[in-house]
Amino acid sequence: MIKILKVAYKNLLRKKTRSGLTIIGIGLAAWVLVSLLGFNKGYESSLNRDIDNLGFQMIVTAKGCPYEAATLMLKGGTGLRYMPGNITEQITKEPEVEAVTPMLMQAVFDPNKGESGGYSAYLGVDPATFPGMKSFLEFMQGAWFTDPEAMEAVLGYEAAELEQREVGDLLLIAEKNVEVKVVGILKRTGTQDDGTIFLPLRSVQKIFGVKNELTGVGIKVKKDADMPRFEEKMYKLPDVQVVSLSQVKQTIMTLVSTAKVMVFSIALIAILISVVGVINTILMSVMERFQEIGILKSMGATAWDVFTLIWVETLILCISGGMIGTALALATAKLTEVLVRQLLPYAPSGGLVQIDLSLVILTFGVVILIGLLSGVYPSWKAGSVRPLEAIRSQVE
Amino acid sequence: MKRLYCVFFVAVLLLIPIEQIFGAVGCDLNDPDRDVARLFPSSTGFKTDYVSIDQRGGPDLLAQIEERLGDKFKGLFETIDVPYTLYEVFKGRDRIGYIHGVNEKGQYGGIQVFLVLDLEGVIKGFYFQRLTSRYGKQLRDPEFGEQFVGLTLKDFYNYDVQTGKPTGPSGVEKIKNPVPEAEPDFRAALRGTKKNLILVDEFILGNRYLPYHQSRGERKP
Repeated sequence: MIKILKVAYKNLLRKKTRSGLTIIGIGLAAWVLVSLLGFNKGYESSLNRDIDNLGFQMIVTAKGCPYEAATLMLKGGTGLRYMPGNITEQITKEPEVEAVTPMLMQAVFDPNKGESGGYSAYLGVDPATFPGMKSFLEFMQGAWFTDPEAMEAVLGYEAAELEQREVGDLLLIAEKNVEVKVVGILKRTGTQDDGTIFLPLRSVQKIFGVKNELTGVGIKVKKDADMPRFEEKMYKLPDVQVVSLSQVKQTIMTLVSTAKVMVFSIALIAILISVVGVINTILMSVMERFQEIGILKSMGATAWDVFTLIWVETLILCISGGMIGTALALATAKLTEVLVRQLLPYAPSGGLVQIDLSLVILTFGVVILIGLLSGVYPSWKAGSVRPLEAIRSQVE
Repeated sequence: MKRLYCVFFVAVLLLIPIEQIFGAVGCDLNDPDRDVARLFPSSTGFKTDYVSIDQRGGPDLLAQIEERLGDKFKGLFETIDVPYTLYEVFKGRDRIGYIHGVNEKGQYGGIQVFLVLDLEGVIKGFYFQRLTSRYGKQLRDPEFGEQFVGLTLKDFYNYDVQTGKPTGPSGVEKIKNPVPEAEPDFRAALRGTKKNLILVDEFILGNRYLPYHQSRGERKP
């Protein structure tokens, strides 16, 4: 076997440029394949992580699309629709519910903030339930609010950086002319929380004059709960809209699947081109060595020996290409991530391309399979050469 | 289809990584193409350069900048690795000036102090790109910004950013606070301007104004 390997290797070296180009072709196909599979894995796990980091699996908002509400708000209208505060009690009664946390989002326009003014948004959260649901949040400075009605704020890392705030500093809610004291700065999480300014729910209700009203309720569902059934129950609540995060995930995955199908098609075409390239290279090599193979057979080599020799040549080409492609995919993973982020309508935080050992093994499996399949015809062709015919063709 | 948009909107609202909302927290112009054309009407192009104290000289450079500023870089966010965005403005092939902004801590929020400079480091324009203040209207008034025009780093060396008072003859004395109650933000604006000018001197002007600091304005370059 070692001898066959040596001979096959030397045969490939006889046409360095052609062998090199074929390896590059296979390498590119392997690169696309590894990157694509890595993206498939990375995107889903990052999305799951982002959803887990939300701390709840379902959100109930006031009826009417939140998209419309936000548009209204940004255009200067009163915008947001509210739910009565007692909705949390109704939801808590359901046996599937582990915990709920009420929220109230408000925004103000400060005409002097930016060159053409600017909005600041504040999220009112319940100090009794919100920190428990977001147990992964850690503080860089300070802690949660000292009192459920305190005029205090906790800032996500990016919000604090942008506002240059530290614990003890003041924050001005411009339109309302209200000062709140910063009591906590969160560590960076890579999620929406980084840019959020949290205030106690009751303080936001008081400042904005929307007593006992909410814009959303986060629901943590028990692990063994029947989610579709629970969703149905929530839909029956009056004047609310239910968004489950499994639904959100499904929607995102549906949107992303279009991009995935496109890239998978490109990968498939790349693989097909590389298969044709391999067959072409090996077949040309067999044609060029027609007489040589004839002499080999006349010296006692069996059809199987010749078949193996050519097959091994194909495998060497494919494995080399696979190695180059995998190395290329590992080296350009970050670049691929940047490109993918530009292309997709939504990309979660964290690594989008995850290449691990199982993926590398899988790619090698595919590449070897391609090698074995594309090598069959040229190897059979070489193995079936008739010695006399081959030698005669040399004389002619 | 409408429902799909709704769900997608909630998804984006909840899950979108925050960099996509705020961008990197350095101090970039909001709209460089528009802003450069507005600040330098004769310009035909500009070049953007990102630098940090860490890259350009590390702790030694930070110590030198702090010494020139007369104050330590403070807090969680005024750090050695903050990226500064320098805009070099061109007219044809000729460089005609610079635009540079810094973040500064104001009384109620972050302040972004932008300076428009000529090739000698003379202030041609001053403005707040971002400001949260009870007195934002008065501080944003063009008359306030015009007080900075014509000043250089030399004028700021005798201004003590810690006490907010001059320590000798200083061009800063001519800058008047429009509202006495806005004193914290007024002082933040002056500290931001001095820091901004020092950084431009270190990063672009080759420390042209360092001798003034060393001799406190006795020598001329």
